[in-house]
Amino acid sequence: MAPTDVQLIQRVRADETGEAMRALYRAYAGELYGFALNALGERGAAEEVVQEVFTRAWRHAATYDQRRGSVRTWLYQIARHAIIDARRRASVRPSLALHEPGDTDAGEASPTIEQAMLGWQVVAALEKLTPEHRQVIRLAHFQGLSMREIAERCDLPVGTVKSRTWYALRSLRLVLEEMGVR
Amino acid sequence: MTGCDHVRPDIGAYVLGGLEPAEEAAVREHLATCSECAAEHASLAGLPRLLALAAPMAEAGPPPAAIEERVLDAIAGELPQQPPRAPRRRLPRARVLVPAAVALVAVVVALVIALGGGDEPTPGFKVALRPAAGETGSGRAVLASADAGITMQLWVRGLPRDPGIVYEVMCDAPGWSASAGTFRVDSHGRAHVVLNTAARRGEYDAIRVVRRSRSSETDVLQAKL
Repeated sequence: MAPTDVQLIQRVRADETGEAMRALYRAYAGELYGFALNALGERGAAEEVVQEVFTRAWRHAATYDQRRGSVRTWLYQIARHAIIDARRRASVRPSLALHEPGDTDAGEASPTIEQAMLGWQVVAALEKLTPEHRQVIRLAHFQGLSMREIAERCDLPVGTVKSRTWYALRSLRLVLEEMGVR
Repeated sequence: MTGCDHVRPDIGAYVLGGLEPAEEAAVREHLATCSECAAEHASLAGLPRLLALAAPMAEAGPPPAAIEERVLDAIAGELPQQPPRAPRRRLPRARVLVPAAVALVAVVVALVIALGGGDEPTPGFKVALRPAAGETGSGRAVLASADAGITMQLWVRGLPRDPGIVYEVMCDAPGWSASAGTFRVDSHGRAHVVLNTAARRGEYDAIRVVRRSRSSETDVLQAKL
């Protein structure tokens, strides 16, 4: 059985092979990168944050307390601090144009931890849909195409695209409910 | 209830704003009068907000693969023994000895924790590398089979460091040898690297770390499998 996040964090300090850290990294680096990139708007800075999060997590693994939240939430909290530090560094290196708090509603533009975590669960839910369902949601929602435009592009009757959209959204809602998202 | 069958499949498109204006008006009208369809609409109406949260996360894509190795490298750099910090305050000898003893115990405990991971079940096969005759240093390797051959995580310490020196890891079989790559050591003679070799499990029976400089090539560490 795969070790839990809590077990991984508990063994990470003593694990000289690095496998526990690798497992944590593979589980969470993707979404933390998305979180950091959204907050900072610059890939290099977001990469540094991801690296910082996992090295800090390793250094402070002993301070993780599972009564206060999941490992995932803890890593996001570390990321938030690392993002604040990155912004601070950028403000003394003005050549790096990162989103600044205080810039035109940038505070609203960077997602909160809760929004980012929720957003990532929706990404994971979309991955569980069939390719057809995922495609119709991508075209209709993310690319803003109308049913008629999707029908033309995919060479399908409009009625088929409509019912596929309906089934796709129902499946998505179901998967999200199973993940505890409402 | 009339029109439900006709309208129902449009609700998804309606929620995502994908209908033509006339169709949209028809759905809106129907929802105002049909509680069943209105309930169906309500159950899907929150999805665009959730999808909007997903968009920026999905757009980011994965971080470059090199970050994973950078994290492991950074940790490996902090893992080995760091010189204990002696207390700087000027205190009478007896009072210095107690914190010094505590510090020493802490260092020993830290070392035992750092080095004693052998109890943990780890995927991969562990090998200890010993110095060749007349050489110093030591190393450990964890070998994992991959489709393309073997992935080797290697830790070394105590190796001579010189700007002109690189180290190469060889997987040896009788009459055959495959390189797993080269690396350099840091200012303390240490390195933690991840290497790949085409040699497959069972195809080689020894691992050798070779020191290469412009003029010479010397075996420094070795392990028999």
